[in-house]
Amino acid sequence: MTSMTRRELVAGVRAMTPWLAGVGPFGLVIGISAAQTDLPTGAGWLTGPTMYAGSAQVAAIQMLGAGAAPVAVIMTVIVINLRLIIYSAAMAPYWRTMPLWWRLLGGYLLVDPSFVVGIQRYGRGRDAQRPDPAVPEGRGAHAYYLGGAMVLWATWIACITLGATAGAQLPAWLHLELVVPLFLIGECVPKLRQPTTRRAVLAAAVVAALTLAVPMHLGIMIGILAGVVAGSAGSWRQRRALATAAASGPMEEAHR
Amino acid sequence: MNAWIVVLAAGLGSYLLRVSMISADRVRLPARFDEALSLAAPSAFAALAMSSLVGTVLGAGTSRSVAVLAAVVVATLATARTGRGYVAAVTGMPVFWLVTALTAH
Repeated sequence: MTSMTRRELVAGVRAMTPWLAGVGPFGLVIGISAAQTDLPTGAGWLTGPTMYAGSAQVAAIQMLGAGAAPVAVIMTVIVINLRLIIYSAAMAPYWRTMPLWWRLLGGYLLVDPSFVVGIQRYGRGRDAQRPDPAVPEGRGAHAYYLGGAMVLWATWIACITLGATAGAQLPAWLHLELVVPLFLIGECVPKLRQPTTRRAVLAAAVVAALTLAVPMHLGIMIGILAGVVAGSAGSWRQRRALATAAASGPMEEAHR
Repeated sequence: MNAWIVVLAAGLGSYLLRVSMISADRVRLPARFDEALSLAAPSAFAALAMSSLVGTVLGAGTSRSVAVLAAVVVATLATARTGRGYVAAVTGMPVFWLVTALTAH
């Protein structure tokens, strides 16, 4: 490993550090949730290295613990994780010249924080569109991404492990299963300030409550889809209204 | 299908999503698609929280339901006031324990 590569690796780790303070508690909550549901704790822990996405892991653990149908669980996880396609598409140009094993590893480590840290570094590269690994600048960015992504992964798995281990030791009267929905409320409430997300969150909550009795716990997935549609529709209407207002402005000027 | 297999299948699906575009460097997704998918996670959080809480309240006795509702109200207000997500669990759980203890006797 060259000194430049080592420097970039360390820089990537440093860039990821602020994110660890946020994802750490989330990982602990997921671990505790895995220990507190009727799901085998090991299966709940396994969502960490396999799904490697907090919101999808919470959904899978909660739904499996409640006895949801396997198809409903898998489809819900896929729907929640569809955003990973966007990340994959954004990283693809930078990884095009990398060997297959690197792209498969880099892809496995791709999740919200690693995407943000990585794309910021790639964007600063000498050739932002197509970094050439033969050029030190391109290789440095790859090392930067891997450094940040690997420390994130290690921290995530460690926190889930800690939560699952500690959660299994804690007494049942604490009712720690309530931690997860409270944590989720904590994630939703700050987002209510943005109109688009507010529409999505409220629609998802209402529809999920109304479809509680739907078989195979499909109500959760129906709620998620309702939220995405409601948020997107509202945003689309807003953009159309702005476009109409902008178009009618010059026309009114012309008619005066 | 047992839970382990479901977790592995869902994990495989998630991994395929991650590597789906790696070899297609000229694909650009429409901006509207980006925005819609960014709403999936907050929608999921809301749907999961509501489903879990409503299920708990409907299936529990009166004292447990009151304790859960009190915890949710305090957690929501505290989070709205501070803007910090972790405050919900930090304030909600003690309220739940306190109300449970008070209504148990």
